[in-house]
Amino acid sequence: MSNQLLKHVLSGPPIISTSPNPPGKDLKLFQPKKNTVLVSHGRPPWYGENGNLIGDAFVIGVAGGSASGKTYVAREIVRSLGSIPTVIILSQDSFYKYHSPEELALAHANMLDFDHPDAIDVPMFVNCLADLKAFKQSNIPVYSFAEHQRLAETKYLYGATVIIAEGILALHDPSLRALYDLKIFVQCDSDLMLARRIKRDIKERGRSVEGILDQYLRYVKPSYDNFVRPTASHADIIVPGYNNSVAIELICTHVRRQLQERSNQFREKIAIPRPGIKSKFEYTTPSPTPEELDLTVLPNTSQLQGIFTILRDKKCSRQDFVFFVDRLSTLLVEYALQHLPYVPKTVVTPVGIEAPGKQLDANYMCGVCIQRSGGTLERGFRRVIRDVPMGSLLIQSDAATGEPMCLQVKLPAYIRNRHTAEDTWVFILDAQIGTGAAAFMSIRILLDHGVREEHIVYVAFLVARGGGISIFRRAFPRVKIVCAEVDDEMEEGWLEGVQDEVTNPGGLGRKVWIMQPGLGQIGDRYYL
Amino acid sequence: MTSLTIPQSPAIQATCAHIDDQKIPPSVFKLPQTAQLEALYTIIRDKETSRGDFLFYSDRIIRLLVEEGLNHLPVISRVVETPTGATYHGVGFEGKICGVSILRAGEAMEAGLREVCRSVRIGKILIQRDEETAQAKLFYSKFPSDIAKRYVLLLDPMLATGGSAMKAVEVLMEHGVPAERIIFINLIAAPEGLSNFCSRYPTTKIITGWIDEGLNEKSYIIPGLGDFGERRYCL
Repeated sequence: MSNQLLKHVLSGPPIISTSPNPPGKDLKLFQPKKNTVLVSHGRPPWYGENGNLIGDAFVIGVAGGSASGKTYVAREIVRSLGSIPTVIILSQDSFYKYHSPEELALAHANMLDFDHPDAIDVPMFVNCLADLKAFKQSNIPVYSFAEHQRLAETKYLYGATVIIAEGILALHDPSLRALYDLKIFVQCDSDLMLARRIKRDIKERGRSVEGILDQYLRYVKPSYDNFVRPTASHADIIVPGYNNSVAIELICTHVRRQLQERSNQFREKIAIPRPGIKSKFEYTTPSPTPEELDLTVLPNTSQLQGIFTILRDKKCSRQDFVFFVDRLSTLLVEYALQHLPYVPKTVVTPVGIEAPGKQLDANYMCGVCIQRSGGTLERGFRRVIRDVPMGSLLIQSDAATGEPMCLQVKLPAYIRNRHTAEDTWVFILDAQIGTGAAAFMSIRILLDHGVREEHIVYVAFLVARGGGISIFRRAFPRVKIVCAEVDDEMEEGWLEGVQDEVTNPGGLGRKVWIMQPGLGQIGDRYYL
Repeated sequence: MTSLTIPQSPAIQATCAHIDDQKIPPSVFKLPQTAQLEALYTIIRDKETSRGDFLFYSDRIIRLLVEEGLNHLPVISRVVETPTGATYHGVGFEGKICGVSILRAGEAMEAGLREVCRSVRIGKILIQRDEETAQAKLFYSKFPSDIAKRYVLLLDPMLATGGSAMKAVEVLMEHGVPAERIIFINLIAAPEGLSNFCSRYPTTKIITGWIDEGLNEKSYIIPGLGDFGERRYCL
């Protein structure tokens, strides 16, 4: 199989190259930068009230000859689309195969054809793209052009709404083509591509014209003629490789319309917090009981009541608030641990006697903190579970729509890798479940990563019975919810405008749902 | 004296069936015997456990014990206004407390106590066995001056025969603390010690994490966890 990669030169003079890089691949040294993740103001919900995903990511395939301007087209599309959520540009170059020692030697001798379709690990490309399209995480390979080798490390990607897959052979394989919602071929005259290439390689790589031409004739040109150009027939749109602003504008109009149509179609199904308002999904008129909601509530001891009385008091000093929050979170996390599995284990005590006991039966464990107020549980968590990784999610509600927006996803490596995620127990730390919007989103993020629903333990001080918890429960019946107290209702309130460049540039006040009697703004009281 | 068995869930009976047959005095309160508590005990019982793990996991149990002990203190009703403007009918803590640790192992429980009760006063007491009489003898004590007005959390990790604990209660009562205002907190108790202690001081509450099988000929708790102070400080 590796022989297919080789291109034996039977005629012509031996190539003398001054560059340590293989012919035709000089530019690739720069190309890890081609995998770009662009984040805008946040990601709105991508799931419905039943917790299931709605639709998938919009995938655009961009193919075209080397130096035809694919990257330019991709970037222009992103720029022109403007304020859409996360966009990922995925470069075909990341998916060069892992090379055997023989291939590696050839690569270093500039004898390996990197323009041939066989150089690409198509199954992996397809898997990664399919995962991203299905809103899953993907750990894409990292290819080093200096070492001509795929590296052990990978790059973690998650959460794109639009994905642009770009590469000379992006439209070559049928299984790749099946994933695209839009296929673009950047058409450019060979002489123009060659001219750009010569200019670029001399300027950026300091190579000789002769060397450039030689590699062009040996690898680049045959590949273009045999594999790249024919794929233009699969394209939905053929874009000229120069003066293409009109074409890009047309594409963007199309993409925007497509995204808008999806959005309109899904709007109704998207889980938007509306506690108290009986939506058509809200069957139960009276607030459900903690039993119906399957909540694990701390035993209501006199100390717990005393702690809550201190915390709920608006005159509570900050020192007291911090101390009692830490004390409460310690109790709460201890209580939450009952949901972990234990197996029998017998040990020998220093007295020399065997004692039957139990030990934890969980391969991986980690915490995920919902910023900012979830951070108030962190000290308690650390007092109980001292040595596990801790992730963080930043979810804010959009000032205009009230929709939750995912601003940052930082997850422990256990969760980033799909095969360990399936075995990981996750404790989500959050101050309270009111509308349930952030809770909903955080669970969806974990499920997207392959964490099992029954392995998620949601730890919160307070849950509002009349809030979004019933919708949450219907969507995710197997998530364990541990809380210290259950409040009855949610009231509509008005949050004084906090000027925030990202979510609220005007500093306007906004309507929020407030738990009653509640704990107030727990994050503010703990941190500010 | 009347006694009753603390009800236990069916899942627990399988692992400590021997305790069910014994009568537990009514002034004794056990932590809920959950699988995770059992797992904590399994770690600290294991003679192979490192000192770091021993410290961390025994601290976790101590915190739970102190929390349970505090639940036996009185509270009064208290009404507060929440930041959202609502009225909340809660409770306020009533009565001052202090800790008294029986040296030296009892000191190991002070950190856990202070994590739950910030800057609580802590008295100390040293009781050792008099080799001539084989009786527990007071060597040293230092208490807050107003200890008679306080509830006392008496700290000693292991209740074996109950000799030192009973001596400590005796000393506290001499300082004016009524027996019913003393709450004795320990990690592991032997049935013999519980029965000795409770027949002498039936009004003092005992909070324990686990009741073990019994004592061996050297009066070590079986299966126990060895010498708590030694493992925590010296080994």
